[in-house]
Amino acid sequence: MSKSLRVGAALLLAVLAIWTVQHAALHQPLQLGAKPSAAPMAASQVTVNGEAPAPLDTPYAMVKIPERLPDFTLANRDGKPTSISAWRGKSLILNFWATWCAPCRREIPILESLDVQWKPQNVAVIGIAVDRRDEVLAFAAALHITYPLLIGEQDALDAAAAVGVDSPMFPFTVFTDRRGEVVAVFVGELHRPQADLILSKVKDIDDDRIALPAARRAIAAGLDTLNAHAAG
Amino acid sequence: MRRFRVPLLCLSLFGFAGAAGASPWWMRGSTSTEQDFLPPDVAFHLSSHLEAGVLQLRWVIADGYFIYRNKIQVRAASPDLVVGPPILPAGTRFDDKNFGLQEVYFQQAIVSVPFTRSDYGAHPLQIQVTYQGCAQSGFCYPPISKVLFPESGAGAMTTRVFATGRDGLPVGDGSSAWEAVAILGGTAAFVFAGLIQRRRRRLPVPTA
Repeated sequence: MSKSLRVGAALLLAVLAIWTVQHAALHQPLQLGAKPSAAPMAASQVTVNGEAPAPLDTPYAMVKIPERLPDFTLANRDGKPTSISAWRGKSLILNFWATWCAPCRREIPILESLDVQWKPQNVAVIGIAVDRRDEVLAFAAALHITYPLLIGEQDALDAAAAVGVDSPMFPFTVFTDRRGEVVAVFVGELHRPQADLILSKVKDIDDDRIALPAARRAIAAGLDTLNAHAAG
Repeated sequence: MRRFRVPLLCLSLFGFAGAAGASPWWMRGSTSTEQDFLPPDVAFHLSSHLEAGVLQLRWVIADGYFIYRNKIQVRAASPDLVVGPPILPAGTRFDDKNFGLQEVYFQQAIVSVPFTRSDYGAHPLQIQVTYQGCAQSGFCYPPISKVLFPESGAGAMTTRVFATGRDGLPVGDGSSAWEAVAILGGTAAFVFAGLIQRRRRRLPVPTA
């Protein structure tokens, strides 16, 4: 065998060996189970505009969070098509949820209390139900949801994609200021300390006490602190 | 310089193979940080196995994630196939204050699916599997529906998987392993062919 053929054969074997090793490493899913548990609140994460991490670190669910809340229209409880712009001029808490989702259900009392507390301050809570209409209405009646609901299936998924969550996992909550700028998108179950933190900064923006980028930085830092506290 | 050519070629090929075979960011489940949201196919890795008339489904579930036992559904997706109710092992029970008593699978779930087929093997066996799971940290994935082509054999659990859209039609191939084989094999063949061609070019120059 000539030298060239020997070198070629060696290269071929080397490539196959490398691929075999890496293929084996990729297909050891049982090792995932050996990983230490994540902290209870750690998977909940805020993503803010203009400070999106580099693509390799982009959370799975995130694509591109828009600067401003895009307009979308979904049916309300009465079946009437309702544009999100009907709440123009208010700061919004848009909670995307589904009836089959346990953390979504756990959030509802918090959202009710936020609605009561923040409504006088020009903040509206709106539930965006991504689910079958009949199931949502029965669920909302059983749980006495009083804040407005918009309901849809594919059109609600399109709305989720429009706010930057293209591969949905529920719940997630979008916070906007009164100008319609997206302040934060929070993926996962919202807890009261996190909601209070984000809304306090939304209020600061609305009252022109802080600029949007600074508010986002403060929210990100505050959530890190809360997560560390919960983990620690 | 000439004597360094082969080692350099080997080195660059190693580097290329490493880059091509490295796990893409969305598959790095074992190295993901606690703030990652695993893609559903990583959080719940599904495979199937068909042997001696027994069809088994196996989910390997990432730590911190779980699948609801009562959300697992299997139905026939090929002609002349009848699928019975899946035989679901006992899961971990917990009392959800909103949803009542729940039974979920952590780590892994192995489910047997009885079936009968009357096509004498005329069609590839296809089943549609639907399941739904969540992360313990507080979020859930929408129900996932896949069409599986269980493959028989005595080896590891294998399957061809197609994710399905809302209408149940395949929307994409769930496997990237064969892409890696194709890329690396093609590259190796290209280099190999180039070396052979180079050897052939070294023909003796005819003398007048």
